[in-house]
Amino acid sequence: MSLAAVGIIGIVCLLLVLFLLGMPVGFAMAIVGFCGFWHVVSFNAAVNMVGTDVWATFSQYGLTVVPLFIFLGYLAFNSGIADRLYNAAYKWFGHWRGGLAIATIGADELFAAICGSNTATVATMGAVALPQMKKYGYGALLSSGTVATGGTLGTVMPPSVVLIIIGLQTEQSIIKLFLAGILPAILLGSLFFLTIFVLCRIRPQLGPAGPKTSLREKMKSLWGVIEAVAIFILVIGGLYVGVFTPTEAGAAGVFFTLAVTVPFGRLKWKGFIDSFKDTLKISAMVFFLVTGAIIFGRFLAITRLPFNVAEFAGSLPVSRYVILAIVLVIYIIGGCFVDSLGFLVLTIPIFFPLGLALGFDPIWYSIILTMVTTMGAITPPVGVNIYVVKAINPEIELSTIFKSITFFLIACLVSIVILIIFPEISLLIPHMAR
Amino acid sequence: MDFLEKMSRLLNQGLLWIAGLLLAVMIALTCGNIFFRVVWVPIRGTFELMGYLGAVVTAFALGYTEIKHGHIAVDIVVLGFPKKLQRVLNGLNGIVCTAFFAIVGWQVAKYATTLWRTGEVTETLRIVYFPFTYAVALGCFSLALVFLVEGLQSFLGTREEEK
Repeated sequence: MSLAAVGIIGIVCLLLVLFLLGMPVGFAMAIVGFCGFWHVVSFNAAVNMVGTDVWATFSQYGLTVVPLFIFLGYLAFNSGIADRLYNAAYKWFGHWRGGLAIATIGADELFAAICGSNTATVATMGAVALPQMKKYGYGALLSSGTVATGGTLGTVMPPSVVLIIIGLQTEQSIIKLFLAGILPAILLGSLFFLTIFVLCRIRPQLGPAGPKTSLREKMKSLWGVIEAVAIFILVIGGLYVGVFTPTEAGAAGVFFTLAVTVPFGRLKWKGFIDSFKDTLKISAMVFFLVTGAIIFGRFLAITRLPFNVAEFAGSLPVSRYVILAIVLVIYIIGGCFVDSLGFLVLTIPIFFPLGLALGFDPIWYSIILTMVTTMGAITPPVGVNIYVVKAINPEIELSTIFKSITFFLIACLVSIVILIIFPEISLLIPHMAR
Repeated sequence: MDFLEKMSRLLNQGLLWIAGLLLAVMIALTCGNIFFRVVWVPIRGTFELMGYLGAVVTAFALGYTEIKHGHIAVDIVVLGFPKKLQRVLNGLNGIVCTAFFAIVGWQVAKYATTLWRTGEVTETLRIVYFPFTYAVALGCFSLALVFLVEGLQSFLGTREEEK
């Protein structure tokens, strides 16, 4: 049997273990990678490989960025920063038709700039924005989709856990990936604004205008934005000018967040402990996801399957954008059934070398993959954001959320097309940086 | 069975608290390094210590994360199976993962022993680092224990259902 055939059998086994045993993605990749390595090389080599890889990956300095940025996000989550952001956005946009939905996306965009977790962003904004939108008579068709989709901005806007994982897995600069995510996240947010605007023009009853607020109230509310903006400037600005490594930026962000929340009693002891627990839980998950991908990648590398696929795709007499479109469709379909982060980690060993072989810029290609991965968080049946919204407000029917999501999915697709046509949108800031 | 479950829970709870403390140390160390780099000289060996501390922090949280079902899994197909089959598959999953993490823990511990015997030290601080490696092995063993408990619970549950 050829090595490539062994690689294909390995992928089939991985899918069987994933779907039929329900084994966690990271563990499934590690175990199938281990067994494949054992089959191709030897048991002793496989055993040595997993032991060495687990220690080498876990003790990598580069990975320490993960717990620090996750901790930063959870501190922001538990200290009420999101409430103040929403309040400010609400004071400025609440009196417009669909203004509360626009305020939600605006607050999402700002909160995403300090919190790298998609789920934390949805949970926070959902708890704040859904009751407000209900109070002012917003239709669930608009409110549920707005909250579920707004969270996806956290995946693209730095500091994003997904970008960190892509950087670690593909050995790219996390700083450049962070900088490359800023403009695409703003583009995506703007298209969400446009979606809300159009929906409220067509069906005004979906988002009736809220009460007007005075200029004084508006200005006063801006205080709530200052801390989030300051954290973003410290973290991303520090990375941009080269003062911090990504790990240092995370630690500095944590220190600053504690300094602006603890003295004012905004972070309670329970919130502090919960932040630690959630950070450790997610960090352990991410670390093993990366380790599993490395072990599986070693197995695939000895079968030469990723290189063969890349060579084959590169030799096809079609435009590279046709192949890119096929890859994106695979991600959209895969994201419907597998957790989006898990699917990304699972497929990068195959699709990243493919992108490079097709001559795409690795930073731009990573951002495109991140954008399409965000869609996995809102596509049924396993879109996690949908269930977070349902959990926050059980009265909203799942079918309503699915329907609502459709409008925003169009915005996601349009943003990907724009990024493909204008790659400079993601490459401009990384090229400007030192 | 109850004893195993209690032991697994206590062990992983204890490791989680240590992981939390070490995470706080990581933050303090990095912030201290930034501060001293600006006002005087950087703290020597920060990068290598951060790597080792990060390894222990996450290895100690592996078991707790599994107890809380925090590792991403694709259960969309499994949930469609009859309850009894689900239990059998969960049991199988638990046993396979127990064996795998026991092997990983064993290998990492073996590597730590080699580091200890050869007196291997870190590049900058010149300190031994095998204790960190043993700690990662302990994290893997504690995860294996969680899977063992989950696997046994699934199989015993199936037996009780049959009775």
